[in-house]
Amino acid sequence: MKENIVIIGGGIAGLEAAGQLIRLGYAPIIVEKSDRLGGHVAHWHKLFPDMTPASDVVARLSEKVSDANVFLNTEILFINRLKDSYNVMLSNGISIIARIILFTTGFRLFDASRKEEYGYGIYNQVITNKDLEHWFNTGEDDRIGMSDMNAVGFVHCVGSRDEKAGNAQCSKVCCITAVKQAIEIKQKFPEAMVYCFYMDLRMFGKKFEDFYISAQRDYGVRFIRGRVSEVSENIDGKVIVKAEDTLSGKPVKVTLDLLVLMSGMVCNPDSTRIASMIQLPADSDGFLKSKDNITDITASSKDGVFYAGACTGPKTVPETLAEARSAALEIHSYIQGLQ
Amino acid sequence: MFGMIFILTWCLVGAIRIIAQLPKEDRKRFFLSLVNPKILLKDIKDIFCDCLLHVKLWKRNKLLGYMHSSIAFGWFMLIVIGHIEVFFYAPHRAKLLYFPIFFRYFMAEDDSTMGGAFFFFLMDFFLLVVLSGIALAIIKRVHSRFFGLRRTTNPSFMDLIGLYSLWSIFPLRLFAEGFTADISGGSFLTKSLNHVFHAFLGNHMNMLPTWWAYSLALGIFFCVLPFTRYMHIPTEILLIPLRNAGVRIRHPRKGYAEAEIYSCPSCGVCIDACPMGVMKTHIKDTTVYLNRQLRRNNEARIEEISDKCLLCGKCTAVCPVGVEGDKLRIAQRSMRKYGITPDYSAIDTDSLVKEFSTGSGASSGKVLYFAGCMTALTPQIRKAVESVLTKAGISYEMMDKDGGICCGRPMLMAGRFGPAEEMIAKNTEIIRKSGASTLLLSCPICYKIFREKYDLGDIEIIHHTEYFDRLIRNGAISMRRSDEKYVYHDPCELGRGCGIYDEPRAVVSAAGQLVEAEKNHKESICCGGSLGSLTLGFEKRQSMTENSLHNLTVASPDRIVTACPLCLNTFRRYADRPVEDIAETVDRNMN
Repeated sequence: MKENIVIIGGGIAGLEAAGQLIRLGYAPIIVEKSDRLGGHVAHWHKLFPDMTPASDVVARLSEKVSDANVFLNTEILFINRLKDSYNVMLSNGISIIARIILFTTGFRLFDASRKEEYGYGIYNQVITNKDLEHWFNTGEDDRIGMSDMNAVGFVHCVGSRDEKAGNAQCSKVCCITAVKQAIEIKQKFPEAMVYCFYMDLRMFGKKFEDFYISAQRDYGVRFIRGRVSEVSENIDGKVIVKAEDTLSGKPVKVTLDLLVLMSGMVCNPDSTRIASMIQLPADSDGFLKSKDNITDITASSKDGVFYAGACTGPKTVPETLAEARSAALEIHSYIQGLQ
Repeated sequence: MFGMIFILTWCLVGAIRIIAQLPKEDRKRFFLSLVNPKILLKDIKDIFCDCLLHVKLWKRNKLLGYMHSSIAFGWFMLIVIGHIEVFFYAPHRAKLLYFPIFFRYFMAEDDSTMGGAFFFFLMDFFLLVVLSGIALAIIKRVHSRFFGLRRTTNPSFMDLIGLYSLWSIFPLRLFAEGFTADISGGSFLTKSLNHVFHAFLGNHMNMLPTWWAYSLALGIFFCVLPFTRYMHIPTEILLIPLRNAGVRIRHPRKGYAEAEIYSCPSCGVCIDACPMGVMKTHIKDTTVYLNRQLRRNNEARIEEISDKCLLCGKCTAVCPVGVEGDKLRIAQRSMRKYGITPDYSAIDTDSLVKEFSTGSGASSGKVLYFAGCMTALTPQIRKAVESVLTKAGISYEMMDKDGGICCGRPMLMAGRFGPAEEMIAKNTEIIRKSGASTLLLSCPICYKIFREKYDLGDIEIIHHTEYFDRLIRNGAISMRRSDEKYVYHDPCELGRGCGIYDEPRAVVSAAGQLVEAEKNHKESICCGGSLGSLTLGFEKRQSMTENSLHNLTVASPDRIVTACPLCLNTFRRYADRPVEDIAETVDRNMN
C-alpha cells in the first residue's frame, strides 16, 4: 500500500502508532526534531509502578519501526492544504504529499524557573523531576552530593493546576512520579528524610494506591498536604522551605539538602505552531482540540488529520500507547473508506 | 426665577450638610483655612483656574479645555458683564437676580453712547464664545474620538435633560436678543442675526415666546441640576477650599467623600485611563460609574465596583477635578464587617529583633533591609539587592530573612484599618529597637505605607531605586554602560503612589540606553497583577498585562525594567523579552 502517512513526533506515541501501521501493511514516515527517538520517556530512568526501565520500553518500541522511514533532526517548515491531501515541507528539503497526518507532538515540561518563588535556577539545591531522572540515569549532577543527603523535599503540582502559571489542568502523572522518585531517593539514601508537599494525591491508575501506601509504610516518606509558599537559602547553601500543613493548620519550615520540583505537562508550542498551519484549533487548556473529547479523541476537525498521545492533554505511558494503537486503527479504517 | 432660588437653596443646604458631616478637627481646619489669607488666595486662584478656565483640562486636551472654559468662562463673563450693565443703567434694579439675565428685554437702552456699544460688543463676543463651546459639545457627543476620547460616559436620563436644556439656553438667548437688537441695540452677532432673519425676528409677535423659551430652558436647567452631573459645578467650588484646607476622606459616604462624589463631572476621562478598560465589560466599573452609583446608593454595585478595582490610582492622577477614585473605593471597602479579626498583640518584637541583629546592637547606624513578602516570592530581587550592597561594601542587616510581619498595606487596601494599624505598630517597634539609621525597601507596596503611615523618627525610609541612584552618584558603585535598550515601567505604587520617577531612570541610564513607553510617569499603565483588586479573576488580568506590555514595548527595548516584585512577576508571565528588576540591572552592570 503506497499511502503516505506522516507521523509528526518520534516519541512513544509516534513509535507505537508507526509500529501498528507497519503491521497493517503501511509505510509511515516519522519526523522527529531531536536526534533520537523516544521523546520524554527516553530521558526517564524507571517507570511506575513496576519500576520498568524506560530504556527497555523505548527499545521495544523502536525495534518495531526499524523498517519505517525516520527523519531525525528534522522539523516541519510548513504544511499546505491541497485539494484532498497535504503538502508537508521538511527542513531537510524533502516535501511529502500525504493524505494522512498523525500528530504525536506530545507535551513540553513546564519551565520551573517561571515559579520564581521555588527558586529553580536561583538556588543551587533546587532541581526538577527531569534533572533527577537524568541523575538516576547518568549519575552526573553537581547539585546532588552523594554524602550528606539528610533531607529531600518534593513539591507537587509545579505549573499544574496553577492559574497563575497559566495552566489550570492536572498533569496526571506527577503525583505518582513524585512517589516513585521519593522511593528511589529513599533506596539510595535510606537515612534521609523525604517530604512530599502536595495539594491532593491523585492515585487513579493501576497499582498507584499500593505504591503510595508502600512509600509511606515501607519507606517512611512523609506526605504534607499544603502548597509551598516560598523557598530560600541559608548560609550553608541548604534550602529552607516554608509551607502550611493544611491538615494540622500549622506552618511548617524544613531545611533540605535537595528540593525536587515536579514540573507538570504543558502544551508543546511546536505542536500549536504546526497545528495552526492547517487551522487546527487548540482547546481551552491550550492542548490540541479533538473532534470529541469522549468518543473521538484521536480525530481532529480536519479530514485525514489524527492525534495520539499527550498533544491533546497530559497522559500516562499506557494511556498514550493505547491511544496510538487506536489512532493507527482509525487511520486504517479511514484509508479503507477512501478506496 | 424659581429655578435660581431652588438651586441656591439646594446648594446652600448641601454645603452646610457636608461641612456639618466633617469630623470636628477637620471642620475647625476648614474654617481656619478660610481666614488664612494664603490659603484663601489659593482657594480663589484654584476656583478661578479649575472651575472657570479649566487649566488642568487644557493641559490634557486642548479641544476639551477650550470647550469647557468657553462655556464656563464665557457664561461667567456674560453674567458679570450683564451685572455691570445693569449697575450702569439701572442701579436700582441691580438687587434683583433675574434682572440682568433679561436685561435686554426690560431695558431699551441704545448704543448711541460709547459705553453701550462696548457692552453690546462684549456681550455678543462672549455669547459667541459660549456658542462655539456648545457647538463643540454637540460634536463631542456625536463623535467623541474627535476629541481624543476613545470612550465617553453614557449619560443617565436626568443628565440628558440637563444636557439638552444647557445646549438650548444659549442659542435661544441669541435668538431672544436678536429680537431686541433693533429695539434696544446689539452688536455684530445679534444685529446681523436680526438682519438675516428679519422676516421672523422683525415680527415682534414672535418675541415674547422666544424670551419665554429662553427663560424656560434656563429654569429647567437649574431645576434639574442637582439630579444631574452638572451638580459638579457648584460642588467643586466647595471641594477646592476643603482640599486646600487639608481635609481628607474619613468616612466612606459623608463629608469630604460626598463632596468628591458630587464634584464628579462624569466627563469620562477615567474610562480611557482605567487599565481594566481594555475589556469592554469593565467600562462600568470605572470611577465615573462608581460616583454615579454612590449618588444613587446602589449598594450592590458600589461593593462590586469597589472590590474589583486594582487601586492603581491612575483615575485619580488624570481626574480634572481631583476625585480620588482609589481612596473612595478603599473607604467603601472599610464598611464591610468581618467575622474574624486577626490579633497581632501576642507577637514578641524583642525576639524578632534578636533574630536579625547579630551581636550587641550591631545594627546601630546600619542599613536595615526589609524585603517584604512580595520580594520573598521573587528571590532574584532580594539576591540582587544583597549582592549590590555587599559589592558596594555596605553593612546591612536583613529584617525579614526568616519571615517578618507584613507592612500592613494589603490590609489597608482591603479597607481593614484596625489590623493594619496593629501591624504598623509592631513593625515600628522592631525597626526602632534595631537601632538602624536607614530602612531599605524593595517593594513599592511596602514603601508607600512606610512613608505615609509609619512614624520612624529619624530613620530614613528609602526604596532601592533611590538608594542605588544615590550610591551611583556618590561613587560608591560604578556602572558599565552597555548598548542595550531598556524601558522602565513605573510601578503604580512607586510612581503615582510616591512620586519616584527620576531616580530609577537615572539608574537605568547608567546601565544602558533608556527608552520611554508610550504612556509613562503618572500615565503609566498598571501591570494588571495588583493586589488591590479583591475580586478580579486571573484570565481577566491577562489582557490588562498584555496591554500594559504593548505600551511598554513601542520603542522596541531589549529589556523591560521595573522596580516592583509584583510587576516583575506579572510581566514575566506574558512578556516576549526579558523582564527584570532594577536591582538585577544594577547587579549585572556594576563594576
